[in-house]
Amino acid sequence: MKNNNTVIDAHNLVRVYDEKTVPIYALNRVHLHIERGEFTAIKGPSGSGKTTLLNMLGGLDSPTEGFVEINGTNITKLKGNKLIDFRLNNIGFVFQSYNLVPVLTARENVEFIMLLQKRPTSEIKKRVNELLQQVGLSEKAGKRPSELSGGQQQRIAVARALAPKPQFILADEPTANLDSVSAGNLLDIMAKLNKEENMTFIFSTHDQRVIDRARRVITLEDGKIVADTAPASTEHTHYETS
Amino acid sequence: MLLRIAWRNIGRNKKRSGIIIGAVTLGLAAGIFLMAFYSGMIEQRVRLAIQNETSHLQVHHPDFRKDYDIKYYLVNGPASQKQIQSQVEVKQAAGRIIIPGMIASPSGSSGITINAVQPEKENAITGLQQKVRAGSYFNPQKENSILISEKLIKKLKLGIGKKTILTFQDSSGNMMAMAYRITGVFKTSNTPFDENNVFVNISDIDSLAGLHHQYNEIAILLHSGSSLKVVQTKLKSLFPEYEILNWQELAPEIALTVSVGEQMVLIFMGIILLALAFGIINTMLMAILERTREIGMLLALGMNRLRIFQMVLWETVLLVLAGCPFGIGIALAAIGITHQTGIRFKKFSEVYASFGYNDVIFPELNLRQFLIIMILVILTAVLSSLFPAWRALRLKPAVAMRK
Ligand SMILES: Nc1ncnc2c1ncn2[C@@H]1O[C@H](COP(=O)(O)OP(=O)(O)OP(=O)(O)O)[C@@H](O)[C@H]1O
Ligand SMILES: [Mg+2]
Repeated sequence: MKNNNTVIDAHNLVRVYDEKTVPIYALNRVHLHIERGEFTAIKGPSGSGKTTLLNMLGGLDSPTEGFVEINGTNITKLKGNKLIDFRLNNIGFVFQSYNLVPVLTARENVEFIMLLQKRPTSEIKKRVNELLQQVGLSEKAGKRPSELSGGQQQRIAVARALAPKPQFILADEPTANLDSVSAGNLLDIMAKLNKEENMTFIFSTHDQRVIDRARRVITLEDGKIVADTAPASTEHTHYETS
Repeated sequence: MLLRIAWRNIGRNKKRSGIIIGAVTLGLAAGIFLMAFYSGMIEQRVRLAIQNETSHLQVHHPDFRKDYDIKYYLVNGPASQKQIQSQVEVKQAAGRIIIPGMIASPSGSSGITINAVQPEKENAITGLQQKVRAGSYFNPQKENSILISEKLIKKLKLGIGKKTILTFQDSSGNMMAMAYRITGVFKTSNTPFDENNVFVNISDIDSLAGLHHQYNEIAILLHSGSSLKVVQTKLKSLFPEYEILNWQELAPEIALTVSVGEQMVLIFMGIILLALAFGIINTMLMAILERTREIGMLLALGMNRLRIFQMVLWETVLLVLAGCPFGIGIALAAIGITHQTGIRFKKFSEVYASFGYNDVIFPELNLRQFLIIMILVILTAVLSSLFPAWRALRLKPAVAMRK
């Protein structure tokens, strides 16, 4: 059953690679339901399909079978620029690496999506200052990505993803390239934003310390969900199974 | 912001951008200079042709030019000349008798055109006096003098002060012969012309030729070439019985040279631009390839295909524009200097002269052609960015980011 708090509804997702030779079922009949305000980790061994699943949820790739609904929109049916625009206006992304535009400063990177959305300059300015502060990088605003540490880059990426207030933020192994202190920092910031802005976060990870911070943990193996622990807290969500 | 990204992307790979900027500089400098060189050469050829050969306009009996038969003369030569001379646009009008004939010396003979001219007026139109390299120009005191060219004097083994015989048909078809004394030797920049023409004073030949005080050609020099068509039309209505031709009609091969010359410049420019286009395509493809993940990321974040396209396009155009000032600067400097000094082709002066060109070329920049080149360069930049941009558009975010 869906309700008003449903953000993502993924139905019977199948993604097959190398269809001509040996088919690889990167995702095999995955059903997933995400509600507003979740702070959810997707874990699983390498090759279990985490990236593939996040790509499906983010509309970066389309499933061989099944569909993904975001806020009632079936994005699997969207094509070309419609899909790109949908991502622009609804989904925030944090990647493992190559996250930022190297020729733009930290501030410009955070502004980036809002500029693409053609938001008014005053709004952009206010929001960007606020976010730079929230991720603790106000004084690095004028620096290029190459002048920032890996952890700082990821914090800028989180600020950028959050800036236009998307429906949810997908983060594929955001801490994979970070030392444990920076990783902890990044998770602190994500958790804080989740709490303060009620922003939905879905992140994949191998790292047990990161998994421990999640309220809901989905485990993938060979493209299948093998475990889905109920959210530790139900204050934001009213989780129902269909 | 796309513009900002594009601009900063140029600074990313200094070496690569430098190569393109260098190529644009070189191509533009070479292209503009070559164009100026050609227009200078053509302008000069036209000027020389007008000065030495055709003048701006010529007036004839309508049948005269068919086979230069002397019997087709202008019925009211001197009166017409006066009337033409009184037009404000006309700088000088000179009457001539043109007779095909033979020149003979004890050691040989040669077919030539006898140009019987009014010494003062002729000099005002063609500067004939300046072309006399040895001896002297026509002198009212000396009757029956003739000017012949260096070429011809060698060929006929003659010299200044020597006598030579001209034979020709008069207006009634009788063969005439007359002795003339060589008083001057001339040389123009057009070798074939020199070999085939001699000059005599019109008053020394008109009665003999049966055209007492008459002409079969009036050559007209205008103050400015821009009034050519106006004057031509005016004279046509003034003298409906005459044929009035402008230099383009008199020397269609020169008019052709002008248009062929322009085409040559365009072809050469085309080659330069093609080379440039390949350079740009190559460079931009490399840049796109290097940034596959970045473009994947931009697509993932929601930068649509039009914007990706614009980004690549801007980067290419800015790159090319960055090279323009240097290229234009070098070309202008080179043109500025050579326009003063001229470019001399000592070794080829004979070759040039045989085609009627001067051996010193003064490059001239023509604004219209300059603008065409600028537009072509920018168009090349835009067109050569299309393929790399298209490659960027084909990237799929999920695939690009796995690279
Ligand atoms: N573009 C592709 N072409 C072919 N096979 C692919 C492609 N993308 C993923 N796969 C395969 O699909 C399976 C799932 O890959 P996926 O990247 O989703 O795993 P993952 O859980 O993200 O792994 P990791 O922890 O290493 O990032 C793997 O077997 C992988 O080899
Ligand atoms: Mg992965």
